[in-house]
Amino acid sequence: MTGSWAPGDELPDLVRTLTLVDLVAYAGATWDWNRLHYDGVEIAERGLPGPVVDGQMFGALLAEQVQDHVGPSCRIRRMGFRYNAMVFAGETVTVRGEVESVSHDGVVRVAQHIATDVAGPDGGPKVAVTGAWCEFEVLP
Amino acid sequence: MSDLEAPLTPELLSWVGRTVTYAAPEPVGAAAIRYFARAVGDDNPIYTDAVAARAAGYRDVVAPPTWIAETVQYMDAGRDADGYAGHTWPLPVPEGYRTVRGGNTYELFGPVHPDTRLVVTWELESITAKRRMIFCESLVTYTDADGAVLATNRDSIIYVPPVAS
Repeated sequence: MTGSWAPGDELPDLVRTLTLVDLVAYAGATWDWNRLHYDGVEIAERGLPGPVVDGQMFGALLAEQVQDHVGPSCRIRRMGFRYNAMVFAGETVTVRGEVESVSHDGVVRVAQHIATDVAGPDGGPKVAVTGAWCEFEVLP
Repeated sequence: MSDLEAPLTPELLSWVGRTVTYAAPEPVGAAAIRYFARAVGDDNPIYTDAVAARAAGYRDVVAPPTWIAETVQYMDAGRDADGYAGHTWPLPVPEGYRTVRGGNTYELFGPVHPDTRLVVTWELESITAKRRMIFCESLVTYTDADGAVLATNRDSIIYVPPVAS
């Protein structure tokens, strides 16, 4: 999709269930072999409910949501996000995004966040990533 | 030092400003890009199909935008006790502190291709404390072998004190 962008435009949600297989594949692909992502004994010793999703993986999902919606001419220039809560293997995450602003020189800023299908401390969906944003341009 | 005081020792603060550079032993490689795209479930053809990548304005297949900051492929170091083989600062934090990721900010200047050879510099920008937690901010700069900056990453790690018993 190309064309005009306006504040308030919503991007289609990106929904992904992150299984232990996904965590192992990601650990391999990034050369990050930290036991927290797959070692059941270590995870139990630390009192965690399951293998921990590497938070940096959420950066890939944030970028994917924007690129899939904008299309091949999308060039992401800047993005940022903060980790809010740990996500464990088997949880399903939903990436939401909404256009926040469009600059005069064509940079579109999208506000994003990632929630899971597990209840958070307030009873609502657990927020995994908060304050996320992505700025992109569309090549002519 | 009272329990509520920030645990910022001179020894810890002496780490601010330090840098370390890692040069990847080989180019990125097309398989590494495909592996990552498959691992995160992103089926965009620009990562695996050179024809699709060229149609999108790239000279060859590209790595997913955040790959450069997520992988530690550019390192060739041993693993630590946790199995981690990426960069860490061996900071003298108090006994029992554990690390959690705080957040990341990426600035992306140019695409990464299979023939890109990465040179990565970590700089420890600041160490601050709040409510007994220690915040460590690094600026990571990724260049190609010719020194052109491909991306920067502001990486935040939080050292969390042991839970009071």
